Amino acid sequence: MDNSSTTFAAKTLTDKNTPQASWQRISPIALLYFLIKLLKELVGNFVYLLPALYIGYNHLIENPSFWLPITLAVIAVILLIVFLKFYFFKFRLHNNTIEIRSGVLAKKHINLPFSRIQNVKLEQPIYYRPFHYVCMALDTAGSHKQEAKVVALNIDFAEQLKKAILQTHQTAATNKDQQDIAEEKTVTTSNNTEKILNQRSLLDLVIHGMSNNRVWIFLGGLAPFFDNIANYIIHWLDNLGVNTEQLFSLTDKPWWQVSLYALTLTLMILLPITLFSILGAILSFYNFTLTKVNDRYIRRSGLLTKHEVTMKLSRLQMIIRQQDWLDKLLKRINLRFEQNQSLENKLDANAYNNKIIVPSITESQCQALIDDAYPDNQLKHITFTGISKRYLLRHIGYILLPIYLGLSYFFYLNDKSIMILLLTPIFTLLSLVIFLRWRRWGFAIDNNYLYVQSGAIGLDQRIFPLYKIQQTRFKQSIFLRKHQLCHIRLILASGNVTIPYMKQAEGYNIIDNCLYIVEKSRRSWM
Amino acid sequence: MPTFVDSSFTNSPIQSDNLPTLMDLSFESLSPRYRKVRAWLNFSITLIILIIGMVLYYQNFYVIAQHKREIILLVTIFLVSLSFLYSFYHLLADQHKFFALREQDISYASGLIFKSIVTQPMLRIQHVELKQGPIERKVNLAKLQVFSAGGALHTFEIPGLSLNKAQAIRQFILDHKDVNKHG
Repeated sequence: MDNSSTTFAAKTLTDKNTPQASWQRISPIALLYFLIKLLKELVGNFVYLLPALYIGYNHLIENPSFWLPITLAVIAVILLIVFLKFYFFKFRLHNNTIEIRSGVLAKKHINLPFSRIQNVKLEQPIYYRPFHYVCMALDTAGSHKQEAKVVALNIDFAEQLKKAILQTHQTAATNKDQQDIAEEKTVTTSNNTEKILNQRSLLDLVIHGMSNNRVWIFLGGLAPFFDNIANYIIHWLDNLGVNTEQLFSLTDKPWWQVSLYALTLTLMILLPITLFSILGAILSFYNFTLTKVNDRYIRRSGLLTKHEVTMKLSRLQMIIRQQDWLDKLLKRINLRFEQNQSLENKLDANAYNNKIIVPSITESQCQALIDDAYPDNQLKHITFTGISKRYLLRHIGYILLPIYLGLSYFFYLNDKSIMILLLTPIFTLLSLVIFLRWRRWGFAIDNNYLYVQSGAIGLDQRIFPLYKIQQTRFKQSIFLRKHQLCHIRLILASGNVTIPYMKQAEGYNIIDNCLYIVEKSRRSWM
Repeated sequence: MPTFVDSSFTNSPIQSDNLPTLMDLSFESLSPRYRKVRAWLNFSITLIILIIGMVLYYQNFYVIAQHKREIILLVTIFLVSLSFLYSFYHLLADQHKFFALREQDISYASGLIFKSIVTQPMLRIQHVELKQGPIERKVNLAKLQVFSAGGALHTFEIPGLSLNKAQAIRQFILDHKDVNKHG
């Protein structure tokens, strides 16, 4: 019984998929998975105990007779939990349904018909790789709790099962929508030809790491220890004979020397940050390939844990083309394919791995990918309409300027006029950013798509088919009404798009058009 | 109405004059009881806060230090004026809540200073809920909630409908063939 899943691959799937199929236990390799998951959870929950452990370490070492049994007992309990988790994890396939039973104390029973599975994800943690096992995560359109994961399947069996699930889904969908059967035939025959749309080299990932700092993820984890780290660094510099306080005092050195020190220090901090960011990019995007089989996009990437995400073209809600200022400089683009996402999914840390992001691609690659998904888009040629100058008046005139004047007056009254010298460049800079944002804002509409662009120095462009819209919102304050302006917000299953300070007539027109297309076309959004 | 060309690409200009527009929506008011009940409720809450504050300030059963009594007085004045402003605002704003039903969509307009019109196409409705709190049940009012895939933050909601009307709208939505097909 223990070794059942190794024999799986040999048997055909249909054998298992009969009404009488019995419950299967997964391969014992899953013990490793459960152990690592449990350890991760423990570390995650008790990270605040680590300093205590560090301080008490000497005490632990000096009193082995007291602490050793306790440590052994804790380890034994962990191993027992892992074994029980493995023991109670069973699944079976029958009548095109997958059932999973799991849980030691809190029992969970998931019953998923293949036709309700929206997404099949294969994950391969590094420790599964030598044994050719994968985790299979099954997404449903419904709530997050319904998500199911079979934690250890032989890779061949998993691929076979995945194909079976996707095919069932395909047939169910076509039957429901009364589409022609010819299409279904082509699906089944050409199912194995994967077309490679994009691949990322290591160089691309290095560029991505530099231009898209994901270092805050690391910093977030370090936050509780900031004080200690700062003290440690100062202490360390002291030991090297560098007096930090003296270094930055303006009394005995010219200003340029101090600024040079500051610059060096900044670079010294930025360097490891950038290295970490590059490391992060390589970790998540190593060996990135985006392929397409018929109407399905498949993203594979990952250095340690390999992720495979599949998305049906019809689930695509919006394409976002993102360029930060550094991307702009390097002429690279991050392209995001957004699918429907519930709020709970957005809060999930793993959501990042569920998305299809194509990192740091060039202009022509980007256009090719957009054209592949939306062949009739006009992003490249369409002219964007800007937004009203009232945007500037509101943000600079009604918010920034009063704050600036108020603070200046306050400093003036308190004989600290020198602070105004500091305040003025900040005010100018913020005003400049608002001006740039105003200049960037734009929208365009054709018969099929809405295009919205925003950003200050960077450039974000969003494209979505009009029929994907879920809901529309027209907003107007009485001040905007006086000037015949409005904001509109279009809500999609993947989030919403807002266009501020546009002409009222245009706002009404866009909403009317969107509603007309949604209601007239009657196309399903997913 | 012109027939929609399915997925093949066309780029003819949209005849915006012919489109049904939100500007021509004929809005219906909410039940007049909604505004009345809300006003009563809000002003009662204001009064209750005032009474609790006064009782705390003037009571003799438990000795409170003078500076603490002053704080109680200040907090009471703050809360009462806040609650009064809120009540007064809603007395005015609740007059400006309307809904409009069309064949293909349902709209809700609200806002005194910041006006908004939310429109929910029937085709995208996933499910409908009628909600009644204890007070709403007493006065025979109901709140209609319509859910789409836009997420919980974008739940379409019409408050203050008479129960009959709310049920009728719900039935209208459920009878809509697109909802049956996709819902």
